[in-house]
Amino acid sequence: MKSPICTGFESTAGLTRRRFLDRFGMGLGGIALSDLLQSGDARAGGVDSAQTLAPKARRVIYLFQSGAPSQMDLFDHKPVLNEKHGTELPDEIRQGQRLTAMSGNQSSLPLAGSPFKFQQHGESGAWLSDLLPHTAKVADDLCFIQSMYTEAINHGPAVTFLQTGSQFPGRPSMGAWLNYGLGTDNENLPAFVVLVTKNKGGQPLISRLWGSGFLASEHQGVRFRSGKDPVLYLSNPDGIDSGTRRRMLDRLGELHQLQLKRTADRAVEERISQYELAFKMQKSIPDVIDMSDEPESVLKEYGDDVRNPGTYAANCLLARRLAERGVRFIQLYHQGWDQHGNLPAGIATQCRETDQASAALINDLKRRGLLKDTLVVWGGEFGRTNYCQGKLTKTNFGRDHHPRCFSMWMAGGGVKPGITYGQTDAYSYNIAENPVHVHDLQATILHLLGIDHERLTFKHQGRWYRLTDVHGRVVDDIVA
Amino acid sequence: MSSSRPVDIVLATLICLQTVLCGGSLCHADDTANENTTKENPSQERPVQFSRDIRPILSDKCFKCHGPDEGGREADLRLDRRDDAKHVLTFKQSKPSELLQRVTSSDPDERMPPADSKLSLTRSEIELLRRWIKQGARYNKHWSLESIQAGALPKVKRADWPKNEIDRFILARIEAEQLAPSPLASREKLIRRLSFDLTGLPPTLEEIDTFLADKSSDAFAKLVDRMLAKEEFGERMAVNWLDVARYADSYGYQQDRTRYVWPWRDWVIKAFNQNMPYSDFVTWQLAGDLLPNATDEQILATTFNRLHSQKVEGGSTPEEFRVEYVADRTHTFGTAFLGLTLECCRCHDHKYDPVTQKEYYQFFAFFNNIDEAGLYSWYTSSVPTPTLRMANDATKAKMADVEDRIAAEEKKLQALTEERQPAFQKWLTARGAKPDISGRIAHLDFEDGNQGANVVVPGRIGQAVRLTGDDAIGMKVGNFRRSDPFSVALWINTPDVKERAVVFHRSKSWTDAGSRGYQLLIEEGRLSFSLVHFWPGNAIRVRTRDRIPTDKWLHFTVAYDGSSTAAGVRLFINGKPAPTRVVRDNLYKNMTGGGGDNISIGARNRDRGFARGLVDEFQVFNRQLAPIEISQLHDGHSLADLLKQSNDTLSKDQSASLLRYYLATSDAEYRKQLAALRSVREERSKTVDGITEIMVMKELDPPRQTHRLKRGAYDAPLEPVTAATPVSLPPFPSDLPGNRLGLARWLTDPGNPLAARVAVNRYWQLCFGRGLVQTPEDFGSQGQPPTHPRLLDWLSRRFIESGWDVKAILRLMVTSAAYRQTSITSPQLQKGDPDNRLLTRSPRYRLQAEMIRDNAMAASGLLVKRVGGPPVRPYEVAVSFKPLTRDKGEGLYRRSLYTFWKRTAPAPVMMSLDAAKREVCVVKRERTASPLQALVLLNDPQFVEAARVLGQRMLKKHGTDIDSAAAEMFRVLTSRQPSPAERKILRKLYDEQLQDFQKDVAKAERLLKVGDAPRDSSIAAPRLAAAAVLASVLMNFDESVMKR
Repeated sequence: MKSPICTGFESTAGLTRRRFLDRFGMGLGGIALSDLLQSGDARAGGVDSAQTLAPKARRVIYLFQSGAPSQMDLFDHKPVLNEKHGTELPDEIRQGQRLTAMSGNQSSLPLAGSPFKFQQHGESGAWLSDLLPHTAKVADDLCFIQSMYTEAINHGPAVTFLQTGSQFPGRPSMGAWLNYGLGTDNENLPAFVVLVTKNKGGQPLISRLWGSGFLASEHQGVRFRSGKDPVLYLSNPDGIDSGTRRRMLDRLGELHQLQLKRTADRAVEERISQYELAFKMQKSIPDVIDMSDEPESVLKEYGDDVRNPGTYAANCLLARRLAERGVRFIQLYHQGWDQHGNLPAGIATQCRETDQASAALINDLKRRGLLKDTLVVWGGEFGRTNYCQGKLTKTNFGRDHHPRCFSMWMAGGGVKPGITYGQTDAYSYNIAENPVHVHDLQATILHLLGIDHERLTFKHQGRWYRLTDVHGRVVDDIVA
Repeated sequence: MSSSRPVDIVLATLICLQTVLCGGSLCHADDTANENTTKENPSQERPVQFSRDIRPILSDKCFKCHGPDEGGREADLRLDRRDDAKHVLTFKQSKPSELLQRVTSSDPDERMPPADSKLSLTRSEIELLRRWIKQGARYNKHWSLESIQAGALPKVKRADWPKNEIDRFILARIEAEQLAPSPLASREKLIRRLSFDLTGLPPTLEEIDTFLADKSSDAFAKLVDRMLAKEEFGERMAVNWLDVARYADSYGYQQDRTRYVWPWRDWVIKAFNQNMPYSDFVTWQLAGDLLPNATDEQILATTFNRLHSQKVEGGSTPEEFRVEYVADRTHTFGTAFLGLTLECCRCHDHKYDPVTQKEYYQFFAFFNNIDEAGLYSWYTSSVPTPTLRMANDATKAKMADVEDRIAAEEKKLQALTEERQPAFQKWLTARGAKPDISGRIAHLDFEDGNQGANVVVPGRIGQAVRLTGDDAIGMKVGNFRRSDPFSVALWINTPDVKERAVVFHRSKSWTDAGSRGYQLLIEEGRLSFSLVHFWPGNAIRVRTRDRIPTDKWLHFTVAYDGSSTAAGVRLFINGKPAPTRVVRDNLYKNMTGGGGDNISIGARNRDRGFARGLVDEFQVFNRQLAPIEISQLHDGHSLADLLKQSNDTLSKDQSASLLRYYLATSDAEYRKQLAALRSVREERSKTVDGITEIMVMKELDPPRQTHRLKRGAYDAPLEPVTAATPVSLPPFPSDLPGNRLGLARWLTDPGNPLAARVAVNRYWQLCFGRGLVQTPEDFGSQGQPPTHPRLLDWLSRRFIESGWDVKAILRLMVTSAAYRQTSITSPQLQKGDPDNRLLTRSPRYRLQAEMIRDNAMAASGLLVKRVGGPPVRPYEVAVSFKPLTRDKGEGLYRRSLYTFWKRTAPAPVMMSLDAAKREVCVVKRERTASPLQALVLLNDPQFVEAARVLGQRMLKKHGTDIDSAAAEMFRVLTSRQPSPAERKILRKLYDEQLQDFQKDVAKAERLLKVGDAPRDSSIAAPRLAAAAVLASVLMNFDESVMKR
């Protein structure tokens, strides 16, 4: 940034007092700060107390498996379902809970055992089905949560709930909250990047999932596209080369210097730095996207897909590259887990696309010393039913949505490795032990980043909002 | 990108914050500050005002546990009402009040707010509380709920400065702080500012020159009038109203299909351009359908209430989303018109403002009363009901004509019953004895074995089928139109009292198809037959009064006459007309389409089938059967018996039965008339079924019962409530109807303190960048108090007294001296009024998204100025998250307000420039600055194309006079002439680029290919390209994108 500061203001990336106080709400030190400033007392106590504890994670890679993977075909081993395959879901298990309007009107709800083989892996002895051979090899680095549950029963609300803390549109996404609360860790890249596996069908994703809700739009996730322009209009137009662009920015800078003299307006300074930063991004983003400097061994580890930009594997590797460069929140989406029918074939494809790269990402981060302060989260928006949706045949079946329990895993960033937390009942229908609500997961993620989820607030329409609404508790048992 | 950690921010902002906070007393000043003692006698304590100083503290820090919410209240203490709080506020010389003791206590068990609330009071807040209690702890109502004061104009020293009343208030504040307003802005700045504020577009050079040349004293006033008279005024005003109305061209949520609502947007533009009084503008939108003899236009205005997101995702619970829609309407009403955040009290009493949860549901009740579904249809494109048919006058005339002709044909048919008596008598004597129930097009007797998974068992006649409930039996017939008479007869036997079961249907699905088609259900044990275009608002449903018995065979027949009325649907049980109740009688569109064209028995996609139910002798007829035929189908002999009976023994009833049978089956004249009637009914379908519909409001009769919902959950109703307004607001006059129209009248009553304040505040925001209340969405105790309360009241009063004249109030604002100041600040003002709350200068801020794009379009000459019409798809929709095919030609160059708004993937350029997302009602947009915006303005093809076309236009006009071309380019983009220093820079860039492009002409050619607009081949490519680069730089220049 070559602009002189001549308006008499410290340039602080444009944070006004209002914004500052808003950001840290009534909790994160804002009030204490204004207090001490008014009294002229220079203790920085308010801000210290905002950091309730030292962050264990500096960044998050969230591998969102959109559509809801079936827990009992991947992680939640339930031999009882195989024994009782084809028999009706017992009423005492269902307990009258609501079903979706898709299978809820079926006259018969036959149990469906998993056709996949389960084995224990690693020293931790985690159960995994043979659909996940690579994940099995890093099982000792992972913390499996078998007892997730949610309130939503359909994709739209459920994904929105996981990502924003509310089932209904309008709230900021988790990445936006972190961007707002923690700011960025790097100069030349967005703080919150979204990567969506290309060419996947299934339940549609919505840009609000990485939106900023009522927070300023600068906090929203920047989705990297898989094409030539990873960021909207990153490349110069045809016929504008970098020499021309530099000249354009130089002349624009000169005009702005005159304008700054005339107006003494800080906004002009902001504009100057905005254009310089854009210019830097035009280089830094192609650099991070360009994987030609990755050694063959690394590419091999992620699998063949990694050479095809926009695949899950390529996105996993890109996530690591972004993490290395200090991007705070990297959100991947992989669609296609919504196996209402044809589950055996469908889920196998999904696993083929994701298993190897997910495990490679863990190994890769670990090797580079990044896993210890990078939190990796793997999971979908809810679970699937233990009973069959549609026709149960010898070789084929489907599973409907099931909010009452599902499995996720986390790794790195201050999470206990090699444990399995929580349990479902013998039918993987209800939670038997240590339930973890979506808001608990969110509280725990924030906690690992050093944030008290009750203090990261924003006042909107007269109310202080949080990612965890008025709920959420940190799952201390999984924190290392 | 913003700075990193809180710690860094704190250190860096320390100095800056101190500057701001030293001026902190400004926030508490009053706009008639003369009465204040601060300046004259600083030692004397300023009187503390409850609503201004204390209520915000109590609200933010204490009300959560000690406020209006009964459910959350601790220690039985509430601090929002004096009577309830007196005992903790008593101040004695020797002993401080309990409140003060508790907030200052060092004992963590005593200290308030408690540590686990994560709330704390600042020293200055405690000090304010101390002074307030010392001064007697007086309470008053929250400022926004007080009636609007008609205060006198404040006195000012500089009597020559004010141009109108507004300035008296502004200047009084400024003078109280011993500051002075800023000088007048230049005329170029003024016309640019005004043009964007009132039309959203830059002034043309001709407009600028005219204004500059006009030396008359009222030159500016005339300019304002010219701007207000433009059609572009309505477009500019509409942009912000679309944010309020959460307008989008798609349904939202997840699937987010396209919907047809733009005629409402055009109505908004028209309403602003006609200067419709704000009170009417509001009333039409809230309740146009309830106005006496409501016109189509008034009904169309109510689309406002239907613009919320709507859901289609399979498997969703419809009621959950229907409740969400009503809640959205309620919240929008609260935010848009009352400036109150009603969201909070959906689950519990409001923590901060005097609105209880019950009162929330009383508001909710106003909006809960339309015949709507929670899901729109996946398999059809039905418009969710209620709807308005968008018929033009010619179509309306045709519709009236065809209805007349139907009535005439019906009359003729009726008359034939009498006229054909002689023929009937003749037939009677010559009749055969064998019943002839003609028109049967299908018959399933289930004698041929199992039907898929459905097993055949002994039935009523031979074998019957026992249904699984999951496996439908498909037939090959049944795709009747609503103008087709038809009948279906069958034996059924239900094993239990079904809450819901599909017996047979012609449809693709239940809610996923809006139930399009027809269906026989068992609902709560009763037989229910429906003909449906879209359930519930465009359908007929007739249900038996009595429950049907279980484990017993009964014969059911439905006979329909093709009339599209409930009266034309007759249900028979065991050969006798069944007592029925009409549940819906409002089918006005086709029931065909959507898939599932033929009859299916026993099950339906995502619906509850007739599990373990028995069905036998299923017969379909392509005509309306006569009652005696139906009896015959039931008992196998009624008709035969009658036919055998000798004529002289026939009773009157028997004779009548035979007459109907005769007419329906054997009388050529009657059957010809039936065909004629059917044909004219078919003509009606052809006339009306294709008419586009739009979602509107229409009251349900009888009204739906609203309940308070436990924690807001759709499936947890508590006690019933009726429509009413909160007690903390002015009473709802007893002579007003308890519906949306009454609500609109209550809202726009001159005594309502909120409607005018909220509206005027938004108009102020439109002209000055932010409101007098800087939280336009929240006039409650969690919002900010007005910076100029008396001005706000004066303007509100003026607005009401002017007959809610929108143009007049805007004229008043923009002709004020305050508006006409320069935006350039001085060090003195920067210090004395750092945040410009006093309006010591004109505010400056980035133009809103639409204006930035429209400015580029207008400057280049590409802008197509046509008001209204379907949304367009400019370049950017092709690169949105869910890419759409972009338009070619005109659609690329319309004003941004017409850009197709897809909720789940909005126009990306608009979004990066902080346009509202339109998910929910928004009354204030963010203004951010990010490098992504720079990339858009530099590289987006629509800006590059605009730059190219602007450059070309200037070169064509000025030829080789590059300096003039550059200067005019500068001027069309910024509305002013460049300075000599600026001219030099422009020239330098052009020359550099010309040289560069001359060295590489192919490069220039590539640049000139960006965008569809044709290139003028008479000008050499390097020159055109250099001019394009210059224009592009200027489009990124501060004064092109900032309001200054």
